[in-house]
Amino acid sequence: MALPLPLGLTHSEVAFVAEMELVTVVPRQRLESIDLLSGKTPPLRPPHRADLPLWLALLLKKQRRANIVPPPWLHPASLADIVHRETKVHPHAFSEPMPTASRARQSQPGYAGRIGGGDSSEVILSPPFRSNCTSAAPAGYLPYHWLEVAEALITHASDDLGGNTSEIRGLLRDLVEVRAAKMRDSAETLGAEGQGGVVSLRGVGAMELAENRGFVLGVVDGVRKIGGAVETARREKEEEMDLGGGDGGRGGYGGDGDSDDDMGI
Amino acid sequence: MPMYGDQGNKLVQHAKRMQNLAHLPPYQTELVRAVTREVRDLDKDVASLLEPFQGSFDPSADQSTACTLLVNHLSMRRNKRCLLAYHRTRTNKLEELVWNGSDVLDLAGQQAGGGANGATAAADGGASSSLSPQEEDYVRQYGDLLAAYKGQWTDIDLTGSLEPPRDLFIDVRVLKDAGEIQTEYGAINLTKNSQFYVRQGDVERLIAQGYLQKLG
Amino acid sequence: MSYYDIDSILTDAEKIPCTFQLDIPDLGYLDNTPKQPLKAGTKVNLPLWLAEMLVIANTGGPDNKTFVTFDLPRALGNDVVQALKADPRAVPLRDQSAHFYGLATHMMDLSEEQELGSVLRKTFVTRAAEISLHARKVGGVSTKGKGKEEGSNLGIGGAGEEFLRGLDEWERKLFRKAHDGAKSGKEWMDSIKKN
Repeated sequence: MALPLPLGLTHSEVAFVAEMELVTVVPRQRLESIDLLSGKTPPLRPPHRADLPLWLALLLKKQRRANIVPPPWLHPASLADIVHRETKVHPHAFSEPMPTASRARQSQPGYAGRIGGGDSSEVILSPPFRSNCTSAAPAGYLPYHWLEVAEALITHASDDLGGNTSEIRGLLRDLVEVRAAKMRDSAETLGAEGQGGVVSLRGVGAMELAENRGFVLGVVDGVRKIGGAVETARREKEEEMDLGGGDGGRGGYGGDGDSDDDMGI
Repeated sequence: MPMYGDQGNKLVQHAKRMQNLAHLPPYQTELVRAVTREVRDLDKDVASLLEPFQGSFDPSADQSTACTLLVNHLSMRRNKRCLLAYHRTRTNKLEELVWNGSDVLDLAGQQAGGGANGATAAADGGASSSLSPQEEDYVRQYGDLLAAYKGQWTDIDLTGSLEPPRDLFIDVRVLKDAGEIQTEYGAINLTKNSQFYVRQGDVERLIAQGYLQKLG
Repeated sequence: MSYYDIDSILTDAEKIPCTFQLDIPDLGYLDNTPKQPLKAGTKVNLPLWLAEMLVIANTGGPDNKTFVTFDLPRALGNDVVQALKADPRAVPLRDQSAHFYGLATHMMDLSEEQELGSVLRKTFVTRAAEISLHARKVGGVSTKGKGKEEGSNLGIGGAGEEFLRGLDEWERKLFRKAHDGAKSGKEWMDSIKKN
């Protein structure tokens, strides 16, 4: 263990968490419900589809006891559509995250409501409780764990991907590259005058966050310190005007804590 | 022309280099002594500068003395910061080594022996630790503290691996004889070069200590 | 940055040009003449930890002046600022100072330099994007179109090496963070294949 521990989740932790995502399987054998910490799994009855956590689905897949139904967004047409949007339509933004699941209201045709919203007390907002990777997920959007789930399925269930593995792999590489370039460019946006040092990370996946967290926070911190020096000078001047000269304490924001009072003992 | 604070700076450069090393380089006894000596000299200077004033020094009446006093004071303060930062960097490293479960005191002796002064260090026998006596004491007591803290839980190893498990069971090869261990599934005798399929949680410690190697 | 921060302490050892405003008999050693008094008007390069206090401490005299005045170090001089405005990526900052940004923020604390802040901000973020690019390559993630053979540690060309050599301490840290991120991403990718 290296101290201090890295900020946020590491790659292997993200990959572990991603295995809680629900995916759809077509069982080849019967399996009774299992009482897991996360709740009971549905009993498996071939040929009826069922949603299982990814780790369990992969285990059954390896034992040839089930096939995995790839989520619609992993279809080559869906991925190509996202690549098109990322490169041509919005070349400077990450594509929209998966919309909250909604369903048509039976009482008001033409209107849709958020599932769990309104009358029901069951609110489903975040993965793994949102079915972002099951066969019911919409196409054309990347879920939070897109890269992890996609890589797992390509590696362990490529025969379930309809013979499109190499095409999917290529499209995923394109996505990884184009989004990495956007993440790099975000550094420049952070420092641009008038942008307020804000970059939207909406739609960025968990693995991408793990990879770029250190770098992006480093850039933010650097910009803050450079701006902070200017800011401190301005604030000190203001304080002097207010108080008619302070005691010269510099331990606060933007100060570098080099006085003995900052030893922190 | 050497200046006040130069020695302290050297000490901090040592600390900087240390941050990127896996092991702990030898304690800079001489340098630490030189910096503390410098502080004492500066303090004497201040005392002799102030002596003629009999405790009633007026800075605005004698500006050049005031400036010298300020320079001396800042030099002492700088040296203090360098000394503290050097030692703090080392203790942070020591604490990390203790958390990693390495036998720091044993390790320290080996490293000093393997360094550039290998021959002399070996001749000195056990007196070649890269830790200062105070640091050795610190490590020992910190180790005790950590052991007492860990001891409160029997089924969770606080110093265990933070990597999420991939599989509950793993294949391991024995690199060094590790004797017999007790597991949920009975006793296993870990003799060199043998291979076992074991529960990862049972052998994590031994892997970290280099007795076992994880396969696959 | 804290009291114990090694980089902050080393930054404080960076020297800036100062001019003494009064004669001081005992400080001749600062100008390499230990037996002589230090004359008013003498120019001496002083480390930040010393200069910072001397330029703000009041002599207490009737004219209300400070012990020393200071100038911007050459690392932040006009030549460098103009070069940074032209192309931030083309300037090896490390040749100016190993703690370039640290030194600069200290100087901005002390002086009323308005322009320096925005030039530095632009410089930092422009170079950061470049750093990220190199870190990704060195981190083992081969970019599109280039094969695995270039994914090795030696995959960066001469120009890239030159740029990385010129990074100051802040930037080196940034490079390490970006590199570690890319590297553990690569390790994760490899680990899926294995399992």
